[in-house]
Amino acid sequence: MGSRQFMAILRKDLIRELRTREMLVSMFLFVMLALVIFHYAFGVDEDTDLTSFTGGMLWVTFIFSALLGLNRSFAQEKDEQCLDGLLLCPVDRVTIFFAKMTGNLVFLLIIQAVSVPVFTLFFIERSYLADIGLFILVLLLADLGICTIGTLLATISMNTRARDLLLPIVFLPLIVPVLIAATSATTGIFADGADLGDLAARLGFLAAFDAVFMVAAYGTYDFAIGE
Amino acid sequence: MKKLTSAPALFAAAGAFLVTGLLLAFLYAPVDASSMGFSQKIFYYHAPIAETALVAFGIAFVAAILYLRDPDPKWDRLSYVSVRLGLLFSVMVMITGMIWGKAAWDAWWAWEPRLTTFLIVCFLYTAYFVLRQVVEEESRRATYAAVFAIVAFIDVPITFFATRYMPEGLHPVVIRAGDSGMEGSMFLSFMISMAGMTLLLAALVRADVAAARLKDEIDDLKTRIGG
Amino acid sequence: MDASGRDLSDAPLEIEVDGLRKTFGRREVLRGLSFSLERGGFLVMFGPNGAGKTTTLRVLATLLTAGRGSVRVAGHDVREDPMPVRRAVGLISHSPMLYLDLTAYENLRFYADMYGLEDREERITELLERLELSHRRYDVVRTFSKGMRQRLAIARAILHRPRVLLLDEPHSGLDPRAVDILDGLLAEIREEHTFVMVTHHIEKGLELATRLMIVDGGKIVWEHGAGVARETFNAVYREHVQEGSVL
Repeated sequence: MGSRQFMAILRKDLIRELRTREMLVSMFLFVMLALVIFHYAFGVDEDTDLTSFTGGMLWVTFIFSALLGLNRSFAQEKDEQCLDGLLLCPVDRVTIFFAKMTGNLVFLLIIQAVSVPVFTLFFIERSYLADIGLFILVLLLADLGICTIGTLLATISMNTRARDLLLPIVFLPLIVPVLIAATSATTGIFADGADLGDLAARLGFLAAFDAVFMVAAYGTYDFAIGE
Repeated sequence: MKKLTSAPALFAAAGAFLVTGLLLAFLYAPVDASSMGFSQKIFYYHAPIAETALVAFGIAFVAAILYLRDPDPKWDRLSYVSVRLGLLFSVMVMITGMIWGKAAWDAWWAWEPRLTTFLIVCFLYTAYFVLRQVVEEESRRATYAAVFAIVAFIDVPITFFATRYMPEGLHPVVIRAGDSGMEGSMFLSFMISMAGMTLLLAALVRADVAAARLKDEIDDLKTRIGG
Repeated sequence: MDASGRDLSDAPLEIEVDGLRKTFGRREVLRGLSFSLERGGFLVMFGPNGAGKTTTLRVLATLLTAGRGSVRVAGHDVREDPMPVRRAVGLISHSPMLYLDLTAYENLRFYADMYGLEDREERITELLERLELSHRRYDVVRTFSKGMRQRLAIARAILHRPRVLLLDEPHSGLDPRAVDILDGLLAEIREEHTFVMVTHHIEKGLELATRLMIVDGGKIVWEHGAGVARETFNAVYREHVQEGSVL
């Protein structure tokens, strides 16, 4: 029963977004624009080597883009009172959390799949194809952290007055550790290739972050969404 | 027992310990052998304030959990008061840290783990107050604040870990006197200051919680008279 | 006795509310509501806006947690055991609770999956037909008129065959055809179902009810069985409701 409900919520969110593409388009445009702005902000010169900044640029962009998506994912439920409809159903609140989180993760991954090649084109000199598997792993683990914390906080902030303003304020301080780990791991891969020792530490850290906050979300989600 | 732990008694005890600690720090403990010299003495306040801030956030964390299990306003009050005090102490950590930095190494700011972590902690718990402000309905406000207080506290050690071990080996971790073993006399002064600071926190918590309860009771009466 | 003369005195209690209190922040919206309704009964709640009628429905639906007091629906306590209550309850309220960018079929399929319906496809087809929406099955709900959305909302509410139907001003916003469909549906499922309806539509209320209630200021100010004439009711209402509210 739980998995059928999980799939139902996920399917609903995917269909809705693929049909309207509201969220995906704005997230994508945001990322593209940010990249262009970074180019002008950091180095107009052809010679400027931005390699040590690449991790940071990428993750700052993804985090703010994720915020756009997170805000939207619950705004829709709230606007049509659909949240009531959802809460009327005999569904575990935690199932709702996992389904919403997975939906957000899928959208973030879609955006990243399209924007990483463009980013590489704009800013990366050397080929990191050899490390592509590890890079994807970093992406996945960091995304998981972003979506776990993000979904929990978006659930809370959608019920408040200043919905769109609150989410960044509560989300950004919490996500700093993920930013730090993902950035240094990514820059490492882009610049000198993956150093397995360092990378393992960062991946382990991200995985631990994800696990800890998944448990925290599991424990508190009933309170975040109910009334 | 009530008399012993009442606010005035605690303040008195705190005062006694802190003054003693101050005297010991300046008169009894030796001047630090390393380059920091006399300025190192601020450590006797800086570190206790930092640890006390974390204790305050820990109290908020426990109170938040207790509130979610049993929605009694007293837990929300305790949580709220503790966060406020923790934030106050955190700002003090930053200020004393910066003073120490300027005096010892002639730099107002350094991106070193402890200072950075407390900076993020300040933002994190400021977000707590923003959250409280934008939730209109009271029981929801307490519930959401509790969820956030729980998640935030979990993030504090994670953030410290990240700032200490993750960044690209740029800033060496500044070893403070507290890390390497302390001499006997230094240790005594330190512990007394620590005790004093903790007693101060206890006194402030008591006083603030009482004030908050009074305010709530007044507000209750106001609404009852008004409507 | 209900409106059709059936004897309900032996029926088990489907809804039991005892001392229900609910506060929003400092405002006490429900001040000790107590009533019960036997299975097959039809309770109609009247009262001015802000009286607490919608809040009561939402508590029965498990959308709100009761502040104090006990509430049992379909044999389960709403606080201890909300899941079985949710399976047994359907809610029709002001907003249709439909996803505008999904089709009628997709909306119903979603709810069918959430309720774990075994005969999903047949049930969806059956209801779309009953509510005369089959021809719009694959159209996005955003393109529906208000009346059609309300009709689809009715389908959504009874999809999982709930024993208890909670209706919050269900006739408002319906075009005449939709009103007929709804009334026909209510008549059809009247047996074996329990209803609680909030309405401002006096005639319909008096006609359908086996139990009448006026709620004001979070309390029940008047209660009666069926068979009350319109004029009598008007007088009673004026007598018990202080504020100059519109009937």
